[in-house]
Amino acid sequence: MTIELDRDFLPEEDDDENRRPGTASAPGRHSANDPVSVAVKLRPPVRIGIEERFHNSDPDKKLEVSKTKLARRLLANRKLQFLLILPNQIVFWTVIFVGLFGTTVPGLNFGAAITWYVWFCLVFVMMVVVGRAWCSMCPFGGFGEWIQRRTFWKRTQKALGLGKKLPEPVARYGFLIPVLSFLILTWIEEFFNIAGPGNPADTAWMVVGIVSFALLFFLVFERRTFCRYFCPLTSLIGTVGSMGSVAGFRTKDRDVCLQCKTKDCMRGNSKGFGCPWYTWPGSADSNLYCGLCSECYKTCPEGNVGLFVQKPLTSVVNPSRRRADIAWAIALLWGLVLYQQINATNVYTSVDNWLNKEMSFVHYPNPVAYTGLIVALAAVMAGVGLLFSKVLARKDLNYVQAGDFVDKKSKFRAFFLPAMYGLIPVVGADYFARQLPKFFKHSARLVPAVGHLFGTGGGTASSVYAFHIINNSWIVVVQVAIIGLGTLGSLWAMWRITKRDLIPVSKNAIAVRMATTSLVLVCGLAASVLYVAMHAAS
Amino acid sequence: MTIASEETRLEAVFSGFQRQGTQPVITVVADRCAGCQECVIRCPVGALSMDTGRWIAQGHSDLCVGCRQCVRTCPFSAIYIEGDLQLGERSLLEDREPEELLYNVDELRQGFQNFEEAYAEASRCLTCPDPTCVRGCPTHNDIPGFIAAIRENDLGKAASILGKTSCMPDICSRVCNQASQCEGACSWSLAQGVPVAIGKLERYITDNFKLDMPKVSEEKKNLKVAIVGSGPGAIAAAWELTQQGASVDVFEKDDRPGGLIVWGIPDFTLPAEIATRPWRQLEAAGVNLFCNHKIEPSEIDSLLGKYDHVILAYGASLPIKTSAPGSDHRGVTDATTFLQTAQTNLAAGGNKKEFFAALGLSRPSLNGEEALSESMASEENSYHILVLGAGNTAMDVARTARRFGLGATCIDWVDEKFAIARPDEVAEARNEGVEILFSTTLHEILADNGKVSGAELAQTQQERADKLPKVLTNRLSKMPVDLVVMAMGYRIDPGFASVFPPLPRNRTVSWQDSMRWAASGILAAKASPFAYGADVGQLSLRREDALLQVGTPYRDRLWVIGDALIGPATVVEAMAHGKQCARSLVRSFDAEDNKDSFDGMKVLVCYDSLGGTTKHVAETIAGFLPESIAGATVKSINDVNKFDVMEADLMVCGTWIEGMILAKVGPSKHMMRWIAGLSDLYDKRVSLFCTYGFNPKNSLEKMEAIFLQKGAKVVGKLAVKASDAKTKETEKTVASFTAEMLSKRKVKFLKR
Repeated sequence: MTIELDRDFLPEEDDDENRRPGTASAPGRHSANDPVSVAVKLRPPVRIGIEERFHNSDPDKKLEVSKTKLARRLLANRKLQFLLILPNQIVFWTVIFVGLFGTTVPGLNFGAAITWYVWFCLVFVMMVVVGRAWCSMCPFGGFGEWIQRRTFWKRTQKALGLGKKLPEPVARYGFLIPVLSFLILTWIEEFFNIAGPGNPADTAWMVVGIVSFALLFFLVFERRTFCRYFCPLTSLIGTVGSMGSVAGFRTKDRDVCLQCKTKDCMRGNSKGFGCPWYTWPGSADSNLYCGLCSECYKTCPEGNVGLFVQKPLTSVVNPSRRRADIAWAIALLWGLVLYQQINATNVYTSVDNWLNKEMSFVHYPNPVAYTGLIVALAAVMAGVGLLFSKVLARKDLNYVQAGDFVDKKSKFRAFFLPAMYGLIPVVGADYFARQLPKFFKHSARLVPAVGHLFGTGGGTASSVYAFHIINNSWIVVVQVAIIGLGTLGSLWAMWRITKRDLIPVSKNAIAVRMATTSLVLVCGLAASVLYVAMHAAS
Repeated sequence: MTIASEETRLEAVFSGFQRQGTQPVITVVADRCAGCQECVIRCPVGALSMDTGRWIAQGHSDLCVGCRQCVRTCPFSAIYIEGDLQLGERSLLEDREPEELLYNVDELRQGFQNFEEAYAEASRCLTCPDPTCVRGCPTHNDIPGFIAAIRENDLGKAASILGKTSCMPDICSRVCNQASQCEGACSWSLAQGVPVAIGKLERYITDNFKLDMPKVSEEKKNLKVAIVGSGPGAIAAAWELTQQGASVDVFEKDDRPGGLIVWGIPDFTLPAEIATRPWRQLEAAGVNLFCNHKIEPSEIDSLLGKYDHVILAYGASLPIKTSAPGSDHRGVTDATTFLQTAQTNLAAGGNKKEFFAALGLSRPSLNGEEALSESMASEENSYHILVLGAGNTAMDVARTARRFGLGATCIDWVDEKFAIARPDEVAEARNEGVEILFSTTLHEILADNGKVSGAELAQTQQERADKLPKVLTNRLSKMPVDLVVMAMGYRIDPGFASVFPPLPRNRTVSWQDSMRWAASGILAAKASPFAYGADVGQLSLRREDALLQVGTPYRDRLWVIGDALIGPATVVEAMAHGKQCARSLVRSFDAEDNKDSFDGMKVLVCYDSLGGTTKHVAETIAGFLPESIAGATVKSINDVNKFDVMEADLMVCGTWIEGMILAKVGPSKHMMRWIAGLSDLYDKRVSLFCTYGFNPKNSLEKMEAIFLQKGAKVVGKLAVKASDAKTKETEKTVASFTAEMLSKRKVKFLKR
């Protein structure tokens, strides 16, 4: 039988300059022999610009953790993610049932206690250390995915549901959609005082709401459209998570990925599903959209995908492509966390009360004040970006207005985007610090709350119930320290970002360094001062 | 491809292309595009390129023609195209309407009359870099290639491109159901537009260029092959074998060669002149044809004694019989008898009386006469036949019946939505006055004095294509009928099937084989309404599976192809099988006694590795293979397709061991599933190894058992303890294992 080898990618048709040296297309390596190849004449893939685009963000080959035998065994196992999701699934169904049918004392109700005293804090730690670790074990998305795939872990071929694509007009706003849903959810949470925690049933209903919402999206859209575009938490995990030290699943040799003609990691094959997060290991430049589900690791026919770790803040500093949706998300999230600090002050309380009276709105939080303040704070950040671009930009900068929301280039964006990326550590630290009081004051209540499920533990009278890990004054100290740490992180990140992204577009290197450094310091200071003020208020 | 050649390519594509409708607009979702370039390497018109700064694809709407292959091939659904298909009107050739049906055997479907017409149609082809039409074509004709040759008005070149993969383009272009093959899979069709008239263009070549004889090789091989049957599969096999210098004897049970294409397809679809062309040429090229020579299953062994190889291509020509009460009455016949009688009669100019007499039709009984409507009462329609089935054969029967002035009704118990006949053929039949009743089945054949007089029909109901219809016995109706023709399809001769189990074989689609197809986008959409919405991707993958099975003999020197292998299929599939089988056969014959050399041997080392140890051992084995084995490949089983397996002279198969330390120990399930999914491996030499942690138990035996079931010969087994995999000791063991399996290799393989 005569086999005509694929004519695509054959050396004589390759543009030599366009290929990385030493990576000549090895015949047979990618020849998923195709009997049809007599007529197949694919263009060779473009390789120009790869070096510039990815050399910053490609992980250090030495930092691959999937090299060890145990890691490889684990990652190749289809049950891995199921086993990660299962405990969380059990906990969250318990939260729902105990929340609805258990005691109404929030501190004694296991559902409310574990969610607000412990879980939220843990998620923050995970995202700062790892990135999307939570996503790999999330019971909400996990539940939807089980139903969508009609299996707990097996590779199935036919999905349940409509499998729609998210329409382009929505998808183009990328990260702004989950920020919006996070803002709405936070407002609801504040309005019903769910996270206080208030009535445990409200916590249960919130979880039920998220699960149902997730399930709905999993049944209407394909893959993890919910997780990527709508999940409220994804806005935080995707931004703050970029501080994390796990780079996610990345290509080991990009040329192998480019020559691959089947893209099993994106389409899925017998060993696994195509990437549920719409991420290609061949072009991932940060941990932003890697859900750590390991499907690409399982599917790659070349074993060319590895799990990499990275130095902290790498995904903040290094990506060459700065996305506008991320920058705006950071500005809005910064606005939200500042709002949550400001709302504890006496001044805000009187403003909110006054507005509610004028608008005949029931009670805190007034929606106008809520959105107004957040948008105003985000606008301040944008204003700073604008100011930078007006004052600092080189005169000869000239961007052609083209592209879409995520990628359009302009003078303003040239300053605003990198500056926002640089603020990620301080924003992340602020969110984290805000969770600490509940953790330090009440996390011990989990013990009587668990006991209460079994009718023991002493209830509110137990000494553990009232146990505070540290007292209020120390909490503020820790909070300010965390902000300090975040500020230091931001200073470092901003220093690097300024050097790479801002100095080349500025007329004066020292001026832009001073401007960005001051921005970080002002933000850090503002958050710290507010914590002290909050403490005084409480 | 350099930029210059890309420009030349586009110039050629657009030379006659006429844009129509609104200009499409390409939107690449910047948020979701991962820059994988699947669209960039496949866009026919270069309307997608890489924005290397952002590393995402960017669209150039001004170049876009709206074929949407990018949309189908994008793994992340990140491309949206708005706007019309920039596609000129298909040259719709009006089929001839027969003015007078009686005895009319003129071909109805028309071809392009001149170059201008053909050029206009050829210009609609985009010459896709990853052409889905070629995957849709069962024999993988280089469709963009021959269409480009038509545009250059070089029919010789076009014919020679076709000749590489097809020896009967004149026949295929007339009888193929292009809608579920090439045209259904045309990029325009998958974009829900009107596909390029590939069939008509193929026909244009053959109408205007005399097809070559088989180019008989000057170098005669001492290879004698017997072929049982003379249908399309046998023709292609004989053609290829003759070209390669073999001597071929063909045994046909009928009095003339050609099988179904000669007696099964009426002249108004496939003129006799064309249907008989291949055999005229084959006989002229020296193929020995023995007609009226039926080979019984019991004679196969003696044939194998006289010939080097035997190919069974006896087709599936046994008509399926109805089980309705009354089927033993006089006046019940089958499609084969009906069509053969009609053809003989028409060939002699047509004579109703003789035809009716041959079929045993006499004056209708009283019972029928009462019910005959007035229009039927005329002499022309004095008899009415009932055709059981509404597939393509049933249409042929009914339309032939109309050519003898008979009234004809076809019934089929499936719903019209799920009908298997080509919709265009159904329309043609209706146009000729055939009544076609779907959702209707035969309840009982009524008789008068043992002679068919009518039929009792029942209504049926069918909700889904994959569900059998329900018969509603409370809704019966009667119909006067003079002749019942069973045209419900064919099956393979049970005599052969019982001697050669498990024939016909199932066709299965595996992931490994489908990945390239998925990448081309053929699986992402169904054919357009113009091509009747067939699921061409799945159809073509199933055809591909059969084609890959053909390359392995059924048993020693015995090959089975075409309908005999897979049950009733199509002319072009059988032809593709014949060609593939002949090539594999010659290859195995050309294999030389290479006792002392490995020159040209093909070794496939495949593994399922979890932590990399198995892969390491696989690579070590490959390292010990003598350097003269040029064709040694090491691959993960995810990467191996049936084609690789078919080609290998020696296959080394390694797996990691699954399970707890003591319980459920065995080869990886993935590996076992993979082996189970392979086609037959007759006489294939296979050697097995595994890497284990604690105790492999009987893992290798489990693998061996399943390989033996498939007909393979296991020539070596080795279990390597994973923790010792990289020691010198193990290396020695692996070296001797490799040496041993090579010593037990099949010594005959192709020297290159």
